[in-house]
Amino acid sequence: MADESVPFDRDDPELARNPRRMFKLLRDHAPIMHLAEGPRPGTLVSRYGNVLEVLRNPAVFSSNDDAVDIGQKRPIIPLQLDPPEQTLYRKLMAPLFAPRVIDALEAQTRQLAIDLIDAVAGGSGCNFHSRVAEPLPSTVFLQLLGLPVSRAAEFIELKDGIIRPAVETPSERRAAVNATGEKIYAVLEEVVAQRVEQRRDDFISGFLDAEVDGERLTPEDVVDIGYLFFLAGLDTVTASLDCIVAYLAQHPEQRASIVADPSLIPNAIEELLRFESPVAGVARITAQDTEIEGCPIAKGTHVNVMLGAANTDDRFMDDADQVDFHREVNKHIAFGAGAHRCLGSHLARMELRVVIEEWHKRVPNYSLAPGIELEYSEGLRQVENLELVW
Amino acid sequence: MLYNKGMRVRVDREKCTGHGRCYALAPEVYDADDEGSCVIPEQQVPPEHADVARRGALNCPEDAIEISGN
Repeated sequence: MADESVPFDRDDPELARNPRRMFKLLRDHAPIMHLAEGPRPGTLVSRYGNVLEVLRNPAVFSSNDDAVDIGQKRPIIPLQLDPPEQTLYRKLMAPLFAPRVIDALEAQTRQLAIDLIDAVAGGSGCNFHSRVAEPLPSTVFLQLLGLPVSRAAEFIELKDGIIRPAVETPSERRAAVNATGEKIYAVLEEVVAQRVEQRRDDFISGFLDAEVDGERLTPEDVVDIGYLFFLAGLDTVTASLDCIVAYLAQHPEQRASIVADPSLIPNAIEELLRFESPVAGVARITAQDTEIEGCPIAKGTHVNVMLGAANTDDRFMDDADQVDFHREVNKHIAFGAGAHRCLGSHLARMELRVVIEEWHKRVPNYSLAPGIELEYSEGLRQVENLELVW
Repeated sequence: MLYNKGMRVRVDREKCTGHGRCYALAPEVYDADDEGSCVIPEQQVPPEHADVARRGALNCPEDAIEISGN
């Protein structure tokens, strides 16, 4: 093992595969760390208690549209609004993502998962990322939006144009992201305009009809909500599936335990969401001068709220560095916390569960393809080269 | 035991943000409203549900559920 004094190389793929040693160093030695230089200057917050403090204080740690640039031309609803403005939107949107609604989507999602898995299960290996983890959430999203599933490839390309633009410099990135953002807006505006004319049984129609205290969403609001779905609902589930299956591929005994007892799967998913934290962090920006643990943070500072570091903090959980599918108490915040707790968490959990259940019914034994060194993307932890053999 | 009123649970609706861990783990005690936030139909927990009620409360990431009694 490397000595603790050895600095981390941000380009070292091992750091992306296993960021937990770096998380521990940050929590133990620099729990509030100011980065003056580098690609993303700002403040890192890594301990569970401090992370919760930030997430529960949106008046100071704002989620407004200065916090992150993902090609938006207006604040993305409701992520880039703060309470109290955000609260009304959440009230309008939450019923569409409530567990009872998501339960009703399970059967069709399961069939999608089965179709994707059956297409590869008869062989002797596949790239799990490209065959299952990426198409599943994109297809679910298209169904929710009421768009033809045949457009899946087009949508994956648009989404990647925002999350992983193929560019070198920050200014190129901004231009590429904004250009892709325009295309996404165009698709959404087209669909929303159609649903304004004629409602269908889909989310866009549901948003157009949602009402709280006499307040309704405008078509423009619905476009802005769709933009968030597009970016938040696709890559996050893909990254979660990648992280979970990559872990299970390398831990055959734990995998055998869920194959033998599938009722363990929900708990196993919670534990791997905690341990892997596929969304490694979320962004905030300070609305005023403030401090955490006595460390001053100036107004306008970008704050990297490190969900992954918080979730593996042994101050909050015993044996936080161990993976235990039988954990009785697991207050992980892989979906965030506070006012911006992931609105799609119930949908995401359902998608993860049906894929993990159906996959292990069909492919109970598998491992990484020989010689594969998994490459995890930073921030949103996808594993594009998740090559499995069985 | 004669005067033991048993366990009671209550949810702080201001703190609850709808993670849904409570009703996923202990549907006997906790339920979801139309927005996915926690509602507790019966605050008095029968002894046979005390363990799951406690587990549901302990898994709340917002610490929104209070338990009193045992």
